[in-house]
Amino acid sequence: MKKISRRSFLIATGAIAAATAMTACSGGSTGKANTTASSAASAAPETVDPSKYEVTEPITITWWHALESQYDELVADVVKKFNATQSLITVEAQYIGSYKDINEALVAAHAAGTGLPAVAVANTDYVASYGDSGLYENLDPYIAGTGYDVDDFSAGLLLSSQYEGKQVALPFLHSTQVIYYNKTMADENGWTIPEKIEDFTPFLAEVHSKKGIYGTVVPGWDQWYFETMYLNEGVQIITGDNDCDLNSETALGVTNMIKGWCDAGDAYFAAGTDASATMRQNFYDQKTFSVMHTSSLYNNYVSKCPDFEVGMAWYPAATTGDKNSEVGGCVLGIPSKNDQATKNAAWQFLQFLCGKEVNMEWAEGTGYLPTRNSVLNTEEGKEFLEKKPAFQCIFDNLNLINPRIQNAAWSELATTWKNYMEVMMNQDGDVTSGSNDMVTEINEILEDHA
Amino acid sequence: MKQAAAGSTPVVKADKKPFFSQRTLSKIVDFLFVVPALVLLAVFTYYPIVKLVQISFTDWNLLNDTWKYVGLKNWNWLFAGSGAKYLWNSLKVTFLYSMGEILVTMVGGMLLALLFNRLTSSFSLMRAFVFVPKYVAMSSAAVVFLWILNTDAGVLNYMLQCIGLPAVDWLNQQSTALPSVLMLTGWRVIGYGMMIYLSAMIGISPEYYEAASLDGANGFQKFFRITLPLLSPTTLFLLVTTFLSSMKVFQSVDILTSGGPARSTEVFVYLIYRYAMVDFRMDRASTAAVMFFLILLTITILTMKISDRSVTYDS
Amino acid sequence: MADTYTPVDNAALLKEVNELHKHKKRPVRYHIQTVVAVIVTIIMLFPLYWMIATSFKSAEEVQLVIPTLFPHEFHPENYLNVLHKANFVKYYWNTIVMTAGILFFQVSTGILAAYGFAVGRFKGRAALFYVVLGALMIPHQVTFIPIYIMCANWNLCDTFLGLILPEAVSAYYIFMLRNTFLSIDQSYIDAGRIDGLSRLGTIWYVLMPMSKATIFTVTLVTFTNGWNAYFWPKIIAKNEVRRVLTVGLAQLKNTFAGQAVSNYHEIMAGAVLAIIPVVILFLIFQKYMMTGYSKAAMK
Repeated sequence: MKKISRRSFLIATGAIAAATAMTACSGGSTGKANTTASSAASAAPETVDPSKYEVTEPITITWWHALESQYDELVADVVKKFNATQSLITVEAQYIGSYKDINEALVAAHAAGTGLPAVAVANTDYVASYGDSGLYENLDPYIAGTGYDVDDFSAGLLLSSQYEGKQVALPFLHSTQVIYYNKTMADENGWTIPEKIEDFTPFLAEVHSKKGIYGTVVPGWDQWYFETMYLNEGVQIITGDNDCDLNSETALGVTNMIKGWCDAGDAYFAAGTDASATMRQNFYDQKTFSVMHTSSLYNNYVSKCPDFEVGMAWYPAATTGDKNSEVGGCVLGIPSKNDQATKNAAWQFLQFLCGKEVNMEWAEGTGYLPTRNSVLNTEEGKEFLEKKPAFQCIFDNLNLINPRIQNAAWSELATTWKNYMEVMMNQDGDVTSGSNDMVTEINEILEDHA
Repeated sequence: MKQAAAGSTPVVKADKKPFFSQRTLSKIVDFLFVVPALVLLAVFTYYPIVKLVQISFTDWNLLNDTWKYVGLKNWNWLFAGSGAKYLWNSLKVTFLYSMGEILVTMVGGMLLALLFNRLTSSFSLMRAFVFVPKYVAMSSAAVVFLWILNTDAGVLNYMLQCIGLPAVDWLNQQSTALPSVLMLTGWRVIGYGMMIYLSAMIGISPEYYEAASLDGANGFQKFFRITLPLLSPTTLFLLVTTFLSSMKVFQSVDILTSGGPARSTEVFVYLIYRYAMVDFRMDRASTAAVMFFLILLTITILTMKISDRSVTYDS
Repeated sequence: MADTYTPVDNAALLKEVNELHKHKKRPVRYHIQTVVAVIVTIIMLFPLYWMIATSFKSAEEVQLVIPTLFPHEFHPENYLNVLHKANFVKYYWNTIVMTAGILFFQVSTGILAAYGFAVGRFKGRAALFYVVLGALMIPHQVTFIPIYIMCANWNLCDTFLGLILPEAVSAYYIFMLRNTFLSIDQSYIDAGRIDGLSRLGTIWYVLMPMSKATIFTVTLVTFTNGWNAYFWPKIIAKNEVRRVLTVGLAQLKNTFAGQAVSNYHEIMAGAVLAIIPVVILFLIFQKYMMTGYSKAAMK
C-alpha cells in the first residue's frame, strides 16, 4: 500500500495539544505518536552505537535550497554560523530554483546516483514520492542513534515530513494557506472576512458591487491553494479504494462555487504565465480586496503595500463546519544515495538548520512559522505575536494545520487537476464533463502507481 | 571509390613486407580523420535512438530504480489511452505553429524583400536591423515579449487601449496564446526570409524584366510572371527547412506559456519534455520521442522526394 | 533621409540597380516605399529598444500605468544587481566556457572529418558519409532522454563536459566544409603533396586558406548557436554552478518576477547582458552573418 488515507491521518494526528501530550507520554527517542512501535522495532539495533553517525574527518557538503535572492543574506548567515560552530564540516549552499526545479534536479541526480547534494529541501507534497522511491534517507535510525530530540517539533509538522510512519525528512520552513486582505479598506467599509463559506459568496459579490474590484483571487498555479476547500467539504480526493472523488456531488459543488465567483467577476482564477506576480500586483494596486496565498509571504506583502494595512485571515469554514488548512513550505532531507560520511555530516547540518535558533531567525525575517512547541506555546510565542500581530489568526488555528495527502501519485495527480481547473475556470470548460474526464485520467494515474 | 577497390592489390612487392602496405596505411590514416566525428555521432546520435526504442517498451519512471519490459503498454497508452488526446492535441498545435511560421517566413519574408529591395546605404542598414532579431538569443527575445505582452503593464495592451481597443490577456487565453508565440517567432524569422529571398532575387537576370517591360508588362505582372516562378526553388527550400525546424520549437513556448493555457500551446517537443522532466515518465516520453523521430523522418523523406521532382527552374 | 546611390553589398547587387532606377520615374511610390520601410524597421527594432529602455528604469517607473518611452532617470545599477545578486557573472563564465568548448570540438572534428570525406581515400567513405547526413535528421529534441541518462551515469550533470560533449560534433559543419573542400581543385592538393606537406599540413596551408569564407561564416553560426543554446543546457545543468545565461535569464523570470511584476527592469537588464556579445559580433561581421544563412540556403 502506497497511500495512507487522509482521514486516518487526521484521526492519528488529532489536535496539536493532544499530540504533544501523547508524544510527551511516549517518552521514546523517536517521539512520534503513531509510529513509535514500528520505528522502535526497526531502529532498536541502531540505537546501540551512536558512533556510527559521528563525523570524523573534514568534509565539504552541499545544500540545495529554493530560497531566492531575497533570502540570500539569511542563507549566507545561517551557513556561516554553522561553519563556525564546528571545524570538520564545510557547507556550500546552492540555489537551484523553484521547488519544481529542485524536484527535477533531485530526481535526476537520484536516478543517476551521482551529483547528489548532502541536504536538499523539498516542498511538502513531494515527501510521499521521495519516501516511496527511497530518495530520502529514513532518518529514524539517526534520530535514535544520536538521541536527537524531535519532541519539540509541532506534531502536525513532524507528521507532514513522514511517509508511511518513517521520518524521511524534518520540518524546515513552513507556512499555511491564508487570505490576505486590505485591512484599511475593510475598516472603512465595516467588512470582515466571513467565517463561513455560505457567507463568503455574498460577501465577494458585495465587495465587487460596492467597489468594482475583485473580492478575492484564487491561485490556480498550485492546487494547494484550493484543495483545502475541497477537503473541508469532505471530499477525500483519493478515497480508501484508491479512487479519485473529484467528480462527486460535493466536489462539483465546490468547483461550481468557485466558477460562480469567477463568472460573476467577484473573483478570478489566477492561472498561466506570471499568474502569481500579477495577482500580487493586483493586490498592491488595490484591484482586488483580498487574495488567497501562503502565509510565508507576509513580510513581502507588508513591505509592498505602504499605502494600506495588510490583514491576514483564515479561509472561511466549509458547510461541514471544518476549517482545516494544510501545511506548506518545505522540509529537509538527506538523499539516500550519498555515502555514509556525507550523510553523517548532512545529519549534523540538518539538526542545525531545523534547530530553534535558525528557525526563529526565519520566522522573524520572513512569514514562515515557528516550528517549535517551545516557541508556539510559550512566552516566546507571545513575543513573536507582539511583533507580528497578523499571525494571531494562524496561532489561533495552529491545531487545524494538517499534513498533506501522502501519495506517491500526488504530483501527477496535482498537475492533472490544475490543468483541468484552468480549463473549467478560465476557458469555459463544462464543470461536470470536465470533472468526469479528469477523474478518469487521475484514476489511471493512481492505478499506475498502486 | 575506384582507388579503394584497387587497394586490395599490393603495389610494391618487397622482401621485407611491412605489416601494412604503404597504401593500406594511407587509407587507415585517411580513415582516422573521420573517426572522432563518427564516434561522437555514434554515441550521441545513433545509440540514443536505439536506446529510445528500448525504453519505450519499459515502464521506467525516473523515480524508481528498477524497470521491466511491458510490451506495447506505452504505445497503447499514447495512441488509444489517456495519452491519445494529448498526443493529437500537441500534433495539432505543432502543425498550426509550423503553418504560422512558414507563412510568416515565406509571405512576410517575400513582402519585406520587395519592400527593402533598394540599393542604398540607408536601406542596407535597415535590412541589417530587420535581420538582427535572428541573432538575438531566444531567451532574451522571449522575456521581452513576455514584458511587451503583459496583460496589465504591457506596452502592447497600452497601445491597444490608446486606440480604443480592449486589453487582451495575450498569453493566458487559448485563442491568443499560440498567436502570441507566433508573434515572437515572426519577429525573429521574418528578416531571415527577407534575406533569403533578396539574395535569390539578385540572381535573377535583369534581361527578363527588360523583355517584359518591352512587352508592356506592369509591376504586378512582372512579379507574378517572372519573380515568383523564378524564386520557386528558394520558396521550396524555405518551406522544407522552416517546416523541419519549426517542428522542433520548444524554447519560446517554454518561456512564454509553458505549454498553457490548458495545453493550447503544448507543442510536440514540450509534450516529450513534460513527460520526461516534469512527470519523470521516461517510458512515455521515449515513446513520444520515437514517434516524433518517425514524423521528422517521414517529412524529410517526403520533402526530399518532392524537391527532386519539382525544382524545374534554373537561375 | 539622404538616399545616395552608393552600392554597398557586392558587385552582383549592381545588376539590380538598373531595375531600381525605374523607381525614379514614380517619385510618389518611391517615397511611400521609403516611409513604409522606415516604419517596418522601427517596429522590428522596437522590442530591442524596449528591452534596453526598460533595463534602465526604476522599479516604480516600470509599474506606471502609462509606460514611459524614455527612462525618466537612469538606473544602471539594475545591471549590477543582475550581475551580482542574480549571479550573472557566473552564468557569463559558464556560457563562455561552454561556447568555447563547443567551438573547439565542432571546428576540430568538423575540419578533420571534412578532410577525410572530401580528400581522404578509404573503403566505405561514401556510405559513412551517409551516417553524417543521417545525423542531420536526428535533433537533440528526439534523443535527449538517453543522452541525459548517459551523461548522468558518467557523472556529467552540472559539468562543462556534460554541456559540451553531446554538442561536440556537428553534422551540419562537416557537411558544409566537405562541400567546400570538394570544390577545391585537386591540383592544389597534389601540389601541396609534392611540396612535402603532410595531411594536416595540407589542411592548414591549402584547404583552410582556400575556404576561409565558408569556415568563417559556418563557425560564426556555430558560435551563435552555442551562445544561444537553451534546450540541452536547461536539461543537463540545473545547478546554478553551471547554469548558462539563457537558462539563468528564463529563471530570472521565475524568481525575481515571482515577487512582483516590477522586476521586469532587472529581467530586461539580464536580457541585454545575454545578447551583447552576439549583437556586437553581428555588427562587426554583419555581411558574413547575413550571407551565412543564404549561403547555406543555396547549397
